[in-house]
Amino acid sequence: MIGIVALGAANRRSIEAALARAGAATRFIEKPSEVGPCDALVLPGVANFGYVAEELDRTGLRPALIEAIRFGIPLLGICVGFQLLFEGSDEAPRARGLGIFAGTVRRLRTPRVPHMGWNLVEPRGDLARSWAYFANAFAPDASVPDAIATTQDGDDTFASAAMRGNVLGLQFHPERSGAYGAALIASFVQSTAITYAG
Amino acid sequence: MLAKRIIACLDVRDGRVVKGRQFAALRDAGDPVRRALRYRDEGIDEIVVLDVSATLESRLANRRTIEAIAATLDVPLTVGGGVRAIDDVARLLDAGADKVAINSAALERPELLSEAAARFGSQCIVISVDARRAGDGYTIATHSASRPHQLDPVAWSREAVERGAGEVLLTSIDRDGGREGFDLTLVRAVRDAVGVPVVASGGASTPQSFADVLLAGADAALGASIFHDGDATARDVKAACSASGIVVRP
Repeated sequence: MIGIVALGAANRRSIEAALARAGAATRFIEKPSEVGPCDALVLPGVANFGYVAEELDRTGLRPALIEAIRFGIPLLGICVGFQLLFEGSDEAPRARGLGIFAGTVRRLRTPRVPHMGWNLVEPRGDLARSWAYFANAFAPDASVPDAIATTQDGDDTFASAAMRGNVLGLQFHPERSGAYGAALIASFVQSTAITYAG
Repeated sequence: MLAKRIIACLDVRDGRVVKGRQFAALRDAGDPVRRALRYRDEGIDEIVVLDVSATLESRLANRRTIEAIAATLDVPLTVGGGVRAIDDVARLLDAGADKVAINSAALERPELLSEAAARFGSQCIVISVDARRAGDGYTIATHSASRPHQLDPVAWSREAVERGAGEVLLTSIDRDGGREGFDLTLVRAVRDAVGVPVVASGGASTPQSFADVLLAGADAALGASIFHDGDATARDVKAACSASGIVVRP
């Protein structure tokens, strides 16, 4: 069972449908007691950073998520859900992120902000680059230590994916990125099955 | 580098795709889910669904239609029609929309844009601006182009973006459904006035017409009739764009 953290503002139905297309059973999570039974977690995001950070505190989900991550439960953060894995964001300077990844999220310096549409995800190393759908005005800088892929527009290059242990974060929307996104979601679903079996 | 987007628009009424001319004379153009998936298969970058009678009937865009499209689609989905309040934005996002377009209600109460952006982030709030030529300039209209205003689209787009809109969906009422090419003057004027992406709409006629408006500065170009009538596919449009040196997603 994959738990989708459903904090008011998120586009949780798109994520639910994408996970269902990959064959996963899902449930929405709104309080800490619902985190424990999940084999994996998704933190989606169509929201303001500050709004979700406040919701994490109001619902008590912040410590529950951090504990689940420490325990080794796979977690996928998407868009603002990805940004929340960092320490903080220029979008809401007083709000705290989960601090799983080192560094903060900054405003983009792309020719147009928000950076909206399809752009290339360029993995570090020799992996193939792929087109993915973005809709973001903020992102972590390309220099953050856990970055595994970057994306460039105009003079700005930012981290479009980061990974640390069992936590994967994507700045783009895999649920809206065609076959590439579907493959990423399928591989996340498979990795959780292996964790569960092991 | 960010690719320029080719977008297909599904104007929906009573669960069916319709298309008319200058916002009137609507005719049936099929089932929205099948249309959306076909356009996806043909390489479209984004689908826009506008419930064209929602505001006139004082209701929100049809949730079942949105849910059915959102559940099967794996490219982005923008939804508009009848959005009056922040709860309407929440409902459409919850039905599976990635972005929500606001038109008439934003003009009546511009604060709606700031409130929606504060909660959902400006990247999912689209200001939909319908403009028509008036003398040497342009004026805007709301309520499916039935209610004219004195305001000009450049000033209104600028204000809407300052208040939190993260994209402008700019439609030329004169060119809607007429297949005469996009209004490049209108697109240039709005594009120069705002820092967010501008989607050009109204007048798509040939694959080259998309290339023309993208070269004029639009970040995305939207077509309806040209795709519904089967005169060109997104792939044809992208071939014309590539030939003009425009970066598109293959």
